[in-house]
Amino acid sequence: MAKRVRTITLVLLVAVLGVSLFAGGQTEATTAKKKVINVWSFTDEVPKMIDRYKELHPEFDYEIKTTIIATTDGAYQPALDQALIGGGADAPDIYAAEAAFVLKYTQGDAKQYAATYKELGIDVDRLVKEADIAQYTIDIGSNERGLVALGYQATGGAFIYRRSIAKAVWGTDDPQVIKTKIGPGLDKFFQAAEALKKKGYAIVSGDGDLWHAVENSSDKGWVVDGKLYLDPKREAFIDHSKRLMDNGYHNDTQDWTDAWFADMKGANPKQAFGFFGPAWLINYVMAGNSGGTKIGEGTYGDWAVCEPPIGFFWGGTWVLANRDSKVKDAVAELIQWITLDSSETGLQYYWANGTLFGAGGTKDSVASGTVMSKSDGSLDFLGGQDMFEAFVPAGAFATGKNLTQYDETINSTWRAQVREYTAGNKTRAQAIADFKRMVFETLDIPSN
Amino acid sequence: MRKKSVSYAKYGYIFSIPFVVTFLVFSLYPIIYTLVIGFTNLRGLGVKEFHFLRTAEGNLDLFGNFRTVLNNKTFTTSLKNTIILWTANFIPQISMALLLTAWFTNRNFKVKGQGAYKILIYMPNIITAATIAILFNSLFGYPKGPVNDLLMKLHIIDGPRNFSLQRWTARGIVSFIQFWMWYGNTMIVLIAGVLGINPSLFEAAEIDGATPAQIFFRVTLPLLRTILLYVLVTSMIGGLQMFDIPKLFLNGGPDQATVTSSMFIHDQAFSGSYLYNRASAASIIVFGIIIVLSIILFQVLRDKDEVARRKYRRAQNRAARKGVNA
Repeated sequence: MAKRVRTITLVLLVAVLGVSLFAGGQTEATTAKKKVINVWSFTDEVPKMIDRYKELHPEFDYEIKTTIIATTDGAYQPALDQALIGGGADAPDIYAAEAAFVLKYTQGDAKQYAATYKELGIDVDRLVKEADIAQYTIDIGSNERGLVALGYQATGGAFIYRRSIAKAVWGTDDPQVIKTKIGPGLDKFFQAAEALKKKGYAIVSGDGDLWHAVENSSDKGWVVDGKLYLDPKREAFIDHSKRLMDNGYHNDTQDWTDAWFADMKGANPKQAFGFFGPAWLINYVMAGNSGGTKIGEGTYGDWAVCEPPIGFFWGGTWVLANRDSKVKDAVAELIQWITLDSSETGLQYYWANGTLFGAGGTKDSVASGTVMSKSDGSLDFLGGQDMFEAFVPAGAFATGKNLTQYDETINSTWRAQVREYTAGNKTRAQAIADFKRMVFETLDIPSN
Repeated sequence: MRKKSVSYAKYGYIFSIPFVVTFLVFSLYPIIYTLVIGFTNLRGLGVKEFHFLRTAEGNLDLFGNFRTVLNNKTFTTSLKNTIILWTANFIPQISMALLLTAWFTNRNFKVKGQGAYKILIYMPNIITAATIAILFNSLFGYPKGPVNDLLMKLHIIDGPRNFSLQRWTARGIVSFIQFWMWYGNTMIVLIAGVLGINPSLFEAAEIDGATPAQIFFRVTLPLLRTILLYVLVTSMIGGLQMFDIPKLFLNGGPDQATVTSSMFIHDQAFSGSYLYNRASAASIIVFGIIIVLSIILFQVLRDKDEVARRKYRRAQNRAARKGVNA
């Protein structure tokens, strides 16, 4: 009797173990019938859009499985890479990539996993024209097979400056005038810096602000024909940085540190005049750090945007589809809605007007010029200025032909060496030599 | 009638299967795989085919990656940094832990609120390293940061200093974080070791009129030797694998002053070029260094009397056997 009880428990145990072991296989089989779309992203932005699409279109009966891994510590890319390599039922159908590494997925080592928008059945040629998508996003999202990625945001950059300081120095805060004071070109920019210095202001917070403008306005990327290439504009940055430092034109902050944020609410002893940035910098970074939430509080409402001295773009999210996706039609539907639908029910119209989740949301510049031209981009933060005035042309200045998949690593190496030089720890030649050596030793990219 | 004996040993094997399988799949296989790709040309994302390195003439060139890594200045710098950072953290760490152990286990003065102190001292170890690294990063912020503000208020410096550009300050901070996080842990291990020593030994020493210092150096320390060896070896292995704090504090900066060998390995494999083969070669080299250093430590710190005694016993046995044979 006792023996039988023992046998039964043993059998049960094995059964339980077996069920839990093979449960994975079973759920896969059932979910395949339930039509699942796997979405991978590094923020909840794209997943939230897709959730919203489901709410707006109840007939879209796919289950969305989202995987969100932050880009902090470079965790997102290795995980996404493994998921793409692994394939199978859990492989991503839609995945998002950020400007810092999108090239790897569109033109670099992981391009073979991306489906072209044409393969998905999207009428790309017509829609791109209709939506008036900025050329740099298309350049970044295309490879020799065709267009594989587009964004929903426009990240062309402008110069965002303090109205009160502009009045104190030049007697006006009109963007049409200020843009002729700080540009075009960096010579005018440094003249403006001198004028600001005489009144006790810094033109920018740190050299990183200028770097983002220089990086994405240069003609070529870091790697040309497998060799490290130091674009003359990027090389000149080391001198610009030194000039900013030696003349005290900035507060010597580093971007994304406390002191940098402090300049957004004018909390440093020497106030900073402005920041280089796209619309997202205004809405997601500066507004929250301005020390206020309505006009008159902190620096809120004391800002305006104008054309930058040099055209550039900064950041952005691109949306890609997996070539092996089993649910291509649904994926195409979502991607088209997010990236190419320029109607008033398309994502970008909601996004531009801040109405995706109801009225009063955050407004942002979007990839489609068509959408922006029929949207209202006026912001209290900018004292009521319509930001699209500055950001629609900004998209056209930007070039997307200077990215590489190594940008994150090479940029930080370069900027660290520039800092060594400006701080007086190294000579200019030594800093450049060390930069080249480190890139070669870490990435195996030789420099001639 | 022979009674069948029931062997329960097989249940032991059955219950250890999950561990063995997990170990084989998730530990042993990756280790062997790492060993193998160190000798191959495996690099690049999603590459599945690779072969052993060959020279241009087609001869096997197994150690090509090792040569490249050893000639890589970043790698030698990272090894040097690792040793500097570990030494600078371990010496104060073990001294502090020993001092606190001596105080907390001293039988003459009962420290009041011992439990609370031990918890407070252990606390930093509970917080994740990532949090601490980022905390220190903003503490030493430039041109605005608590440390700069404080030093300026105290008129120690006139203007803000950019600490993150000073090589030795950065190294000092990383070592300090390591020290501060781990001395409590080391102390707990040492206290446990002291409590395991037979109290009558201390009593005997006291009766013989030994001073507390004498007791500590002549009784406690020699009997703690095995525990000290354990602390030293685990700390050394941990130190040579130091990664999270230097990575998150200044990402190896300034100018590679805090790049550690683990960061080097990580950057070879995951910072853009996917040089898996070189990363493997570098980790094998580091593995070798850890083994060599551990063996040296074992040799230096082993109980020499015990070894001598064992040798003597063996010699006696041999002599005895000879006697029997003769």
